[in-house]
Amino acid sequence: MSDWISACDLSAIEQEGALRFDHNGRTYAIYRSATDEVFCSDGLCTHEAVHLADGLVMDYEIECPKHSGAFDIRTGDALRLPACKNLRMHDARVEDGKVMVRLR
Amino acid sequence: MDDLQYGKRDKRGYWTPNEPAGVAPIWSFPPQVMKIIKWLPQYFFPYDVLWVLSALAWWNWILPDVEVMKTLAWGWILKLFVVNLVAVFVFFGVYEWRLYIKRAQGTRFKYNAKFPSEHPSEAFWFKSQNADSILRIIFHAMPIWTAIEVGILYAYANGYVPWISFADHPWYLLGLALVMPIIHETHFYLIHRLIHTPFLYKHVHSVHHNSVNPSPYSSLSMHPVELLLYLGMALWHLVIPSNPILALYQLHRAGFGAIPGHIGFDKIEMGDKSGLPTHAYIHYLHHRYFEVNYGDGLVPFDKWFGTFHDGSKEGDALMNARYAKRKAQMNGTQG
Repeated sequence: MSDWISACDLSAIEQEGALRFDHNGRTYAIYRSATDEVFCSDGLCTHEAVHLADGLVMDYEIECPKHSGAFDIRTGDALRLPACKNLRMHDARVEDGKVMVRLR
Repeated sequence: MDDLQYGKRDKRGYWTPNEPAGVAPIWSFPPQVMKIIKWLPQYFFPYDVLWVLSALAWWNWILPDVEVMKTLAWGWILKLFVVNLVAVFVFFGVYEWRLYIKRAQGTRFKYNAKFPSEHPSEAFWFKSQNADSILRIIFHAMPIWTAIEVGILYAYANGYVPWISFADHPWYLLGLALVMPIIHETHFYLIHRLIHTPFLYKHVHSVHHNSVNPSPYSSLSMHPVELLLYLGMALWHLVIPSNPILALYQLHRAGFGAIPGHIGFDKIEMGDKSGLPTHAYIHYLHHRYFEVNYGDGLVPFDKWFGTFHDGSKEGDALMNARYAKRKAQMNGTQG
C-alpha cells in the first residue's frame, strides 16, 4: 500500500466534475460530488480504454464519453452496458483544500 | 411545439416520451380491432409507399432494358451506383440539414440533447461521427448496396430464378408485397442477434454502435460484413418466387429505410401544433442500451425473448435485472 499523495487542488475540479490524474505511468480519474466529497478510480473505462474524466458526472454516476456506459463513483460499480466490469477504486480525501489520494 | 407536453427531459438531457414504445397491435390477443385499425396506416405510410414508388422509379427510369442487364457491363452498373449514392445523400441529407445543420426544431423531441458534431470522439474517423458515417456510406455501403442490386437484376435478367409477372400472378405478388415488412423484420432481428454475439460484435457490429447518439448518416454507417448481411435481405427474392420490382422494394426498404431508427428525434415538427412521428424510439433505445430491442417491434420478437424495452421505468427494471446477472458473471470471473 502506497502513501497518500497530493493529486490536485479541490478547486481544480468542478462540482459534479472529474479530473484526469496521471501518476507513475498510470492514469486515474478523480471525481468531486455536488457536496464536495471526492473519489478516485482507475482512469479508463473497463469497456474500452477511454478516459472517464472526459465523461459527465451527475449525482454519483460517471457516464463514459464513448459509449455511455456508467459507473458509481463511490464504489466503482458498473451501472450500465456496455460497461460490465467494475472500476477499481482508490482512497481519496480532501486536506487543506488539496485532494489527497492513496493509490492501490 | 412544447416537447415537455409529450415527454420529460432528465438532468442528463435525455428526453423520454410519455407514451412507452409498443409493438404492433396485430399480435395482441384477444385481438384489439380498434387499435389495429388505428395502427394499420403506419404499416404503409409514409415510408413503405415511398419505397414502392422509389422501386418503380428505379425500374422505369434508372435501370436499362432487361437485355442490357443480362451482361455485367460498367456503363449501367456505374450509373446505378451514382444514382444510388446521390439518392441516399439527398434523402438522408434532407433530415440532416433540417434537424442537425439548420436545427429547425432545436432539441425539441430530441432523445439526446447533445448534437454529435459538438462532441468529437475518438470512436470515429477524424473524431467526427458525420465524417466517419459519410465515408463508410461512400466506400462501404453504396458499393455493397449496388453489388447486391446488380446481382439480383443479373439473375432475373438471365432467368436464373423464376420471374413472376404482375400480369399473370397479381394476387400472389400483392400478398408477397404485403408481407415484405415482416420478412424485413424477421431477417433484421435474426442477423442482429447474430452480430451481437461477442466475436461479431467486437469485430463487426461495434462500428455501427459507435453512434450512441445516432444521426441520419449513422443509418448505414456499418462494417462491410454487417452491410452484406443487412442489405442482403433483398436476396430472399432469389429464393422466394418473386419479381425484380419487389426485390428492389425490399432493398430500398432496407437501405433508404434504415433512416427512421436513426433520426434521433421522436417527432419532426410540422408547424406549431403538429409533428410527424418518426417511430425511432425503439431503435434509439437499442443504440443507447445496446442489448435491448434487437427488432423494431413489427413482430414482437423482443417481447417473446425477453429483450424488449419500452423506455419506461419498468423497462429499465427488466433490463437492469438482466444486466445484474451478466455483471455478476463478468466480475465473478474477474477475480
